[in-house]
Order: sequence, then structure tokens, then C-alpha cells
Amino acid sequence: MTERGAMRAALAEGWPVLLTTVVIGVTYGLVARQSGLTVVEASASSVLVFAGASQYAMLELRRGGADGLAIAFAIFLINARHFLMAAAIRPFVAGVPLARRLGLAYILTDEAFAMGIGWFRRGRREIVYYAVFGTLMWLSWNVSTIVGAVFGADLERPERFGIDFAITAVFTAIVAISARHRTDVVVASAAALVAAALRLAGASTLAVVIAGAVAPVVAIAMRGERE
Amino acid sequence: MFWTAVLLGGAATYLTRLLPLVVSVRGPAPWWLRRYLDALPIAVIAALVGAGVALPDGAPTGGAEIVAGFTALALARWRRNLLIAVLGGVAVVAALRAAGL
Repeated sequence: MTERGAMRAALAEGWPVLLTTVVIGVTYGLVARQSGLTVVEASASSVLVFAGASQYAMLELRRGGADGLAIAFAIFLINARHFLMAAAIRPFVAGVPLARRLGLAYILTDEAFAMGIGWFRRGRREIVYYAVFGTLMWLSWNVSTIVGAVFGADLERPERFGIDFAITAVFTAIVAISARHRTDVVVASAAALVAAALRLAGASTLAVVIAGAVAPVVAIAMRGERE
Repeated sequence: MFWTAVLLGGAATYLTRLLPLVVSVRGPAPWWLRRYLDALPIAVIAALVGAGVALPDGAPTGGAEIVAGFTALALARWRRNLLIAVLGGVAVVAALRAAGL
């Protein structure tokens, strides 16, 4: 297949994911603006972090009054999964010059990883498929963030529409969709229940994040449960 | 505070994406580290769900968030679609709050 064919395939196969990204991105912009960020700040967060779940987490933690370092730590924890994804992609970028790898790393998201690996598993080798899809993801996320942020200021009493709940709904859906094993379900349930109890007892949001970071130890303890 | 979070968080995130692509590591990561990293995002995000449902806006939930949370969960498991699950959860919470819950 030609490079052009691979580019076309990225668009033809990726558009439903891009569409979802636009809706979640507009919502992010709306919620970001409602939570007190300016349009520039909302946009900067999407450019600099470019990882949806951790950006929603940032808004949630800001609402809880967490400080900058605690939020940066939470962003790192949520995004540490990229180590595994980048390691899985590495064999397919073996011949790519360093400068281009810097760019390919920047556009690595859950979605770009899933689409790219799906492509490579079919025996394809065109890295341009991943590059085009990742770039379209970047555009979708960043343009929709700005659109949401620009219109977010005009929305009065957003809690009427449940917009504030969108953060929790996004998180719930991410957990439900990405839980593949019994171990995942056990870890997620434990983390959610402990965090809810901590929060009701008046614990800080940092305590909640740390509870989340400790919960995967259960997965290590459940060795042999899967694989 | 915002810029500390975004600049540090963004730099850390970029390193997680970049390092495996440019630094060669000998052999695969140990099994326990792979498993820890594999379960970490789900656990941190689930913890935020628990906290967000229990105490949505500084006050304990009246129940609307719990019902909407389970709605989003069920929709996500059933349709495997982020968009449908989020819209469903938001619609349910809006309806229940309108009903006074």
C-alpha cells in the first residue's frame, strides 16, 4: 500500500474516534472555563498536556483546592501508562530519525496507540498511518477545547444541565471501557470506595490520588489471576 | 498554581511518551512493574470517580450522582462508547437534579 493509501485509511478508520474526541474536547473547554480557567489557560492545558483524562483530573483537583505540585503529580500518575504504549510502538519507529520521533512521541495518546497498533498488527509498516491519525487527534482536541472554552463563559448555571458531572461521567466511562480483567474491576472498585470514604471523612484530594496510586498493589498481589 | 500544574504535568507526560522511543532499555520491564503501570490509570481515575460521586460540590451527594454514575457505568459496559455513556450520565444527573434530588 502507498503512503497516500495509509493516510486515507487513517482518516476512513479514525473518524468515529475523532468525532468523539471533538465532543469530549468541547465539553472539556466548557467545564474548564466554568471552573475558572481563561480561554488561553484552557487551550494551553490541551497543548501542553494533551491527555484528556489527566486534564479532566486537573479540573477536578483544582475544584478540590489541590496545589500545583499535587496536580502535576496526579497528571504524571495518570499518564505513566504511556511508558508501556511507547515501548510497544518502539519497534515500528526503529528507522525513524530522532527529530521525527520527538513529534511522534508528542502525539502518543490512548487512541493513537490503539489505532496504530491495530494497523501494525495487520502487518502494515507505514508509520504515516499513526502520524496522520495522531495529528488529526491533536487538531480535534485542541480546536474543540478552544470552541468549548469560548462558548463556556456564556453558559449560566451549568449545573442545571449537569455539565459539572461530565468530568465524573467521563472518568466512569473510561474506567468501565478500559477494565478488561477481573483484576481491573477489583482494583477500580477498591480505589473508588476508599476514595469516596476518604473524601466524606474530609481528606484532601491529594490523599484521594495517593489512594488511587496504592490500589494497583492489589493487582500485583493477585498475580496469576490473568496472563 | 495552574501553570505549575500544567508545565510540570505536561513535561512529565511528554517524558512518559518520549523516553521509550529514544532510550534503549535492555530486556522487558519486570512483571510487577508492568502490572502496576497497567492498573495505575484505572485506579487513579476510579479514585477520582469515587471522590466526585461522594462529594460532588463540597456537600455529600443527595443520590443523583450515584444513580447517574451507575447509568454511565452501565451504558459504557453495554455500548462500549464513551460518548453515549457521558451524554447518558449527564442527562440523568440533570433530570434528577431538576426533580429535586
